[in-house]
Amino acid sequence: MGQQVLIFGAAFLGSAVEATEALTIVLAVGLTRGWRAPLLGTVAAIVALAALVILFGQLIVTRIPDSALKLLVGTLLLLFGLNWLHKAVLRSAGAVAMRDETRAYQQTISQLQETESRTDWVGFVLALKGVFLEGLEVVFIVIGVGGTGHGLATAVAGGLVAAVVVAAAGFFVRRPLARVPENTLKYGVGVILTSLGTFWAAEGMGATWPGDFLSILVLVAVYYGASRLAVELIRRPAVA
Amino acid sequence: MSFLRAAVRQVVGLFVSDWVQGGVVLAIIAAGWLAVSRLGTPAVVVFVLLIAAQLVWFARAEGVRRSRPQSPS
Repeated sequence: MGQQVLIFGAAFLGSAVEATEALTIVLAVGLTRGWRAPLLGTVAAIVALAALVILFGQLIVTRIPDSALKLLVGTLLLLFGLNWLHKAVLRSAGAVAMRDETRAYQQTISQLQETESRTDWVGFVLALKGVFLEGLEVVFIVIGVGGTGHGLATAVAGGLVAAVVVAAAGFFVRRPLARVPENTLKYGVGVILTSLGTFWAAEGMGATWPGDFLSILVLVAVYYGASRLAVELIRRPAVA
Repeated sequence: MSFLRAAVRQVVGLFVSDWVQGGVVLAIIAAGWLAVSRLGTPAVVVFVLLIAAQLVWFARAEGVRRSRPQSPS
């Protein structure tokens, strides 16, 4: 039960962050050029992404031996989670600017205004590209988090619920979701994905964790502690 | 074509933003695999500490690099 909650939570939070970024692009296109083309682009991207989940999700779950699957997915999840955590640490320490959805929205709008005279094909492609590329991260999070440990259905549910919640919020607000604490979410999800990746990679190596799934909580504490240490070391002024 | 290139870049970028760091993580995983097969589960503790240590090391290195004032060209 606890494992399923963790899988759902990780898939939901990770997917919500990426869905927020995709929504910013779709809103910018829809509010400046009309809704038909960006909505068609969004639907096309979602269909392509769903095909990827079904194809690769089934392929890896049914064809790859359990220990090899855990090592492979664990390794990829570890790399993916560390990537997010690394950026989150730099943002927390002030070494890299925080992601700002309002600024991303304005950039997309000015990009669209430069192509004002073209047909609506631009709006379609921009929405398709934005949703597909951000959605690739959602696909990886869903397959990576749920592909081992018999939690694919739970992870897919987490990803879908996140997409629906973010889309509904975007429909009602009709502007970028600037209040979503995106950087904090990425930090938290980075820690969880790194911990899950470590857990599965080690199981794939043949290790047995004391306390089984509960040891993920220890991993979360270790990686969170390490990331805070990194933030403090970056903030500390260099000794001359 | 540019869309495909962007998609490939995006997929690779999901896992690796710094090739050196990516290589170090893969080396730690490979060493961990070897150590776990010979020493058993206790080797996992060292594996986790090495992963945490590289996170601190690479984040600090990039943080320091970015905060260093740019030299006039």
